Amino acid sequence: MDPSSTGIQEPFDLIRLSLSERVFVKLRGDRELSGVLHAYDGHMNLILSDVEETVMIVDAVDGTLEGQGTVAKRKMEMLFVRGDGVILVSPPSRM
Amino acid sequence: MSSLQGYIDRRVLLVLQDGRAIVGVLAGFDQKSNIVVSDCRERVYSLDEGVDEIPLGLYLVKGDMIALIGEIDDAIDQAVDPSTIRAEPITPIRY
Amino acid sequence: MLIFSVFKTLTDQRVTVELKNDLSITGVLKSVDQFLNIRLDSIKVLDEARHPHMMAVKNCFIRGSVVRYVQLPAEHVDTQLLEDATRREAANQSKR
Repeated sequence: MDPSSTGIQEPFDLIRLSLSERVFVKLRGDRELSGVLHAYDGHMNLILSDVEETVMIVDAVDGTLEGQGTVAKRKMEMLFVRGDGVILVSPPSRM
Repeated sequence: MSSLQGYIDRRVLLVLQDGRAIVGVLAGFDQKSNIVVSDCRERVYSLDEGVDEIPLGLYLVKGDMIALIGEIDDAIDQAVDPSTIRAEPITPIRY
Repeated sequence: MLIFSVFKTLTDQRVTVELKNDLSITGVLKSVDQFLNIRLDSIKVLDEARHPHMMAVKNCFIRGSVVRYVQLPAEHVDTQLLEDATRREAANQSKR
């Protein structure tokens, strides 16, 4: 893809082009979100709808690697996400 | 400032970033939410015994350390016997 | 500024604020400022049995920096308006 044809010149352009599409968001504290992106700002504060949150709960029992832990999922209709917790935003995979 | 003005001279509950709960009378604040609280008492929660109150005196608390400030309804507060409350301390803030 | 404006349009609506200490507080949004500090009225802490600390608190000020999420009333959010405003703000940002 030629960057000039997609209009992507800087990182935030990638997020701008994901508006009204489903995105994947990785957050601090072993949390992940999938939701439809409706707004963002320069702090990476986000507003998402139809959100599913996945929290990875790792039981730190004697530091073994096989204790994969459990995941907790929940759904939220409309969610503001504070930008300081955002690690990455991934646009929808385009087929 | 999402103003603290309404809390001046009121009894408030202060929840700090490290999870400490302090009650006192809000004497003043500034735009960075640094606050001055008089007649401070720390409320120590535990699962083994009732709530312990430790008098601390006059505090100036830096805004960065504050998680939440709540106005205390004295009628409700006085109606509960702190020695009967069993609870874990509030979890510290984790970024 | 955009997000600040969104919160201002939601004044007097019920929201649920989830803090970075895992406390969830539902209440009526009374005001918000440029730091996204939030004032809530008629608050209720989720799982009050585990969190009796705020029993006597009916309204509170939450520091913006300790907020993880705010669950918003979807029926009061115009998503088309949000996306247009976000594109407009992004365009202004890149001009600078």
